[in-house]
Order: sequence, then structure tokens, then C-alpha cells
Amino acid sequence: MKLAMRFARVFALSALLLVSGAAATMAQDATPKKPSEIVTTHPYISLDPVPRGKEFQAAIVVKIATGYHMNSHKPSDSYLIPTTLTPQLPAGFALAEAIYPAGHNEKFPFSPDKPLNVYSGSVTLRLRLTAQDSAALGATTIPVTLRFQACNNSACLPPVKVPVSLQVEVVAAGAASHATHPEIFSEKPSS
Amino acid sequence: MNRVVTTLSAAVLFSVVMLGVSGCKGGASSGGAAGKPAALADAPDVTFKDLQGKDVTLASFKGKVVLVNFWGTWCEPCRGEIPILIAMQQKYGPKGFTLLGAATNDEEKTVDSFIHTTQFNVGGQEMLMNYPIVMGSDDISTKFGGLLGMPTSYLITRDGKIAKRYIGSLNENQVVKDVESQL
Repeated sequence: MKLAMRFARVFALSALLLVSGAAATMAQDATPKKPSEIVTTHPYISLDPVPRGKEFQAAIVVKIATGYHMNSHKPSDSYLIPTTLTPQLPAGFALAEAIYPAGHNEKFPFSPDKPLNVYSGSVTLRLRLTAQDSAALGATTIPVTLRFQACNNSACLPPVKVPVSLQVEVVAAGAASHATHPEIFSEKPSS
Repeated sequence: MNRVVTTLSAAVLFSVVMLGVSGCKGGASSGGAAGKPAALADAPDVTFKDLQGKDVTLASFKGKVVLVNFWGTWCEPCRGEIPILIAMQQKYGPKGFTLLGAATNDEEKTVDSFIHTTQFNVGGQEMLMNYPIVMGSDDISTKFGGLLGMPTSYLITRDGKIAKRYIGSLNENQVVKDVESQL
């Protein structure tokens, strides 16, 4: 009976080890994740509130999962899909400029000779906007579309468009306002 | 009695774990590894469009070993493996094998321009893609069980069964071995 007990214990231990091993194998699987698991977006506005007639900035901090990258705004060749940020501006708002940081050149196992220009880790994309005199007072949502195409070292996800919402509070021209998120907006764009 | 129950429980757990492990390996291979898709014994009945808009059924390739390669002009890992695919078509085409490149998330005119202008270095020789190219679609991808990433390839036997699925860049040695085993 003692032998049977030992046998059972060995079996149970083996099973536990196999469970751990299987979990680790699955975690290391290079099968691409879903876009929502790979990229998260965090929007910020440089002024609170935004007076009519004032220029302000919107920043989308894009966090890319470890092991993944996306093409930069200026990818290495014309067939690759650039990362873009496109606002759908409500009446009374104007876009001065979209500011994209420079990507970095990196070689991958599938492109060992030709480096690709990519974003990885965290990247901040910005829009220079103006609330014109005709902008509606009060809370406004500015929809923005982030388009990107992400890959890991072995496979790519199809290009996707992710909606992002910018929340802006518009006040009368000359009203008090203060700068927000200096950690994001005081940095000079690297593009 | 308790000991017997413990032993049986451990054995059952062991079996479940073993089944789980084999399920992981067969369900979705990646990084060029290959696996047998559990629920995809028969190749789906799908109709692609060629670049002239004509129908191309997968069934029309019955009798040949087919490697259906879902790719995109925008997908760098897909482009990275094209020299391997060209070489395979060249070597095994006369032996009853064909590649079928299904361009996905692409436009016909982009694909048409790409296949007629992009040269690939195959063993030191600059070559264009030398195998049939058709347009994929979400519907077709779904019928194949859904694409988890690109490239994804399916090895179809002469009698229309899915022998293997490859997710991500192909491992050349593995896919050549697999194709040879079917010829």
C-alpha cells in the first residue's frame, strides 16, 4: 500500500509539473495576440479648459506590448502600412499639424538584412489643434482614429483602426486655463 | 480505499494534462512549427478570385498537394518567406505540388503591381513570384478557422484534407519535409 501511495504522489507531482510546463509553453507561443491586447491608447489634452481662439495639443500615448512592434509613420517601404492618427474634428476645431515621432531602425528574423523603421515600447503621437471662436462651449468629444499594423518576430496582425476619444472642455476666449501633463507636452517632438 | 481514490485521481489528472498538452501543440502552431488542426480535417470548400476577378476554387487543385499561403504585400514576415515558396514551386511544381498565395487585407491593384515588380533573391537569382496568386477574404479566412496572424499556411493533401497548419514564418526544413512526405 505504501508503494501505491508513492506511485500516486509521483503521478500527482508529474501532473503538476506538466501543468506548469504546458502553461509556460502556451505563454511563450508566438501566436499573435488580438490588437486590443497588443496596443493600448491613453489620450491627454495640454490645456484645461481650452479657451476659444487658443491652440492646444492632444497626445495619444500608445503602449505596445513587449515582443511586438508597429510600423512608424514613415515605414521602410511603400508597401508597409504607416501608423497614422486622423481626427474627425467637430465644427469649430481646426487641425494645424499631426506630429509623429521618428521610428527606430531594427532588424528582425524575417528581415535580417533590411532594417525596418518601427515603433515599439511606448510612443507618443500628437495633434496640434485650435478651438476656434465658433467652437461650442462646454464638454466636447473629438473622435480620433489610430491606424496601425503590428507584428511580432514571426507573424503580423492585419492593419486595424482603433477609435480614441479626446475629451475637451471649451470655455470663452480669455477665460482662465492651465497647462496639464507637462511630462508629456513639455517634451520636444522627435520627428 | 482513500489511497486507491488518490491514485485514480492522479492518473485522471495526468491524462487530462497530457490531452491538454497535445491540444496546445495541435491547435495553433507558430514560429514555423507545424501542427494538425483538430477540427479541420477537410479543406474548406472555398472560392477565391484571381487578379482578373475570375473564380478559383480550392477544389480545382484536387489531385495536387497544395500549400495555401495567406500573405499580404504589407506583411514583412510574409515577404520574407517568399523566396522559400518560389524555390518550392520551382522544385516540386513538376511533381504534383503547387503553392497558392492568397493575398489578404490587400487591394487587387497593389497585389498586381507587387507580383509584377518585386524581385526576390532565390539562391542568388532574382526572381518574380512563380505561383498562382489569388485574393483572400474574411469569409475565406473564417472558413479556414480564422487566421491568428500572417503569414498562415495550410498544407492540403492530394485528396483535399488539411495535413498541417503553419502560423508565422515558415521553417524551411520543416515545410519541405512535410511537402515531400505528401508527394
